[in-house]
Amino acid sequence: MIQVSNLQKIYNGVTVVNIPELTIASGESFGLVGNNGAGKTTFFRLILDLIEANGGEILSEGQPVKRHDEWKQYTASFLDESFLIDFFTPEEYFSFVGKLYNKNQGDIEAFLETMKDIFNDEILGKKKLIREYSKGNQKKIGIAAALLCEPKILILDEPFTALDPTSQIRLKRFLSEIQEKTGVTMLISSHDLNHIIEVCKRIVILEKGNVVKDLTTNEDTLKELETYFAV
Amino acid sequence: MLIVNLIRQDFLKNVRSSGFYKNLVANIFYGLMGLYFLAIFLFIGFNLHKILLESGSHYNPLLQICGALFYTMLTGLSFRFMMQSLTTFNLPPYQVLNIKRSTLVHFIILKPLFNPTNYLTLLIMLPFAFKYVAVYYGAFEAFSFVWVYINIIWFNSLFASFLKRKFGPSFRNTLILIVVFGAIVGLEFFKIFSLFNVSLAVFSFLVLNPVGWIVSLATSVLAFTLNKWFFSQNYYAETFNKFASKSKAIITDFAFLNRFGIEGELMSMELKLILRHKRTKSILYMTGFFLLYGLIFYPQKIYQEQNGTLFFVAIFVTGLAMLMFGQWVISWDSSHFDGLMTKNVTAKSYMQANYKLLAAFAIASFVLTTPYFLFGWRIMFMHITAFLFNIGVNIFVLLFFSTYNTKRIDLSKGSAMNYQGVTMKNFLVQIPMLLVPIFLVWLLSTFFSITVALSVLSVLGITGIVFTRPLINACVKQFQDRKYILAEGFREGE
Repeated sequence: MIQVSNLQKIYNGVTVVNIPELTIASGESFGLVGNNGAGKTTFFRLILDLIEANGGEILSEGQPVKRHDEWKQYTASFLDESFLIDFFTPEEYFSFVGKLYNKNQGDIEAFLETMKDIFNDEILGKKKLIREYSKGNQKKIGIAAALLCEPKILILDEPFTALDPTSQIRLKRFLSEIQEKTGVTMLISSHDLNHIIEVCKRIVILEKGNVVKDLTTNEDTLKELETYFAV
Repeated sequence: MLIVNLIRQDFLKNVRSSGFYKNLVANIFYGLMGLYFLAIFLFIGFNLHKILLESGSHYNPLLQICGALFYTMLTGLSFRFMMQSLTTFNLPPYQVLNIKRSTLVHFIILKPLFNPTNYLTLLIMLPFAFKYVAVYYGAFEAFSFVWVYINIIWFNSLFASFLKRKFGPSFRNTLILIVVFGAIVGLEFFKIFSLFNVSLAVFSFLVLNPVGWIVSLATSVLAFTLNKWFFSQNYYAETFNKFASKSKAIITDFAFLNRFGIEGELMSMELKLILRHKRTKSILYMTGFFLLYGLIFYPQKIYQEQNGTLFFVAIFVTGLAMLMFGQWVISWDSSHFDGLMTKNVTAKSYMQANYKLLAAFAIASFVLTTPYFLFGWRIMFMHITAFLFNIGVNIFVLLFFSTYNTKRIDLSKGSAMNYQGVTMKNFLVQIPMLLVPIFLVWLLSTFFSITVALSVLSVLGITGIVFTRPLINACVKQFQDRKYILAEGFREGE
């Protein structure tokens, strides 16, 4: 599904991403962990063609992502607030994103119904612009809009931060369910080791742009991760 | 004094914001513009009495001014109601300190009075007072005139803030203001009720009578008290800032754009963007206002033979909206650029949507300025040529060079007078788009004829229109080349 080869990104002489070889299979749930500055967000931005790599390439379904638009049809992502259109109401935003992916108003409403648990009555029908929502609720809106696209590849950067505990648990459950039901390829980064091993079956640790560990989740994974990060 | 201290801190907040220095070039440019207006105001001020003496009115200049003062007041009030931003002082850090609430309230109320732009018109009134009133009436009346005028400014600023806080700057309220104003002008015009005479009676009394000093001050105090009353009714920031910070979500939908698929969605997004942000809205108002620019030039005989000047006006009124929005057509999206680029939007449909939006602006301006055709055939052909040139040449220049504006524009922050993202490049882009066609028209009409000049420009424009497709493709390619630099620039905050 996603093939990375000899990928390199250098900022001011510092290599921030350096991945010689990485393949993420279709239907995989791929968790990315690492301390601040490890290159997680940069890696995601490279996959989304938002920054230009200094070397190497990324293929999505066999097609290079760089300067291509095809991958956009089946890839949905939420990295930060710049993925939201903050002068829209949530309803307008969902309908805007939905229309871009050829969904009609009925599809959109049906989808929003399934998000009821996660929204917790705080999102819809408020007649407020997105910029007036709290960080946590903005995150919910962004993640929901990404899911609305019914993507084959879903990329979320730290989806659990800024959410309240209940929402974190509901989101975890929701992502696992969706993954099981639709077989979407998920790429998630997180600082919360507990959450990520619950959602992802494969965990990759990045450090200074390099893949230092590539694990398949089992009952010892949490321990292994904790030992790794307990320096 | 604490209030002075607070004002100083507020000033420091502005000067120390990093944007202030980043936009130094723009600030210098606007500073020069400011000086230019200062000079014009002073010039008018020193000559006002001469102009008024020749106006043919049977009142003397001071009485004429007195008669106009109510109108000045109403105009000032409506302008302030629309433009003056409310003091959105960041209260919380001060609220928890040992500062009396009343001090903070006084600061919020009085702050607009320390804004120098409020006193700009004094530059007209001061010279008038010294050159005319002091000479023909006396020093006392001159001072009294200035004092009354200052009180009008105070009253207006305070009263406008009050109205705005109480009722909100909604479209409906603005409309009410315009209707009332229009009605008053109408009554005056048809000699049913003359506000001029009322104003004359009231203000000449205030200026020429010592009681006027107290009465005019009393009106300012009254406006101040109204504000105090408002704050006593609304104790917490969330209620008294109701209209200052909260944008009421107006759910307008541009249903007619739904038919155009993804490009239609993008265009309706851009339209909402323009209508929901202060800065873009004020540009829209300004361009609407400048549609009248032709009225200054077209009726005048001396410009009849200056084809270059006339064509400048033609290209200006038919193209200003496109020019103003076009330069930042990509930068407007800076706060959600990453999102747009990862959604199912191809580079081509993004640029095409931008192109259509700009074309729509050009067409709208052209249609709205068709009444100028009444000034004759030449103006009509100039407008048509300017329109063809705008939509065939300038539009692509704009699209192409908009990819060089990599500064982030945060529309949700700041007010109408926010020049974030304005750099030297923006002024450079205007040169080929305005000066080149004007120069061509001047050159060709001098050596050949105006017909040749306009034909050449029209042909250039039509050529551009014929080659729209390849030209857009060139812009798309340019956009793809610049995309990463744009995205990175937009990601960087102030």
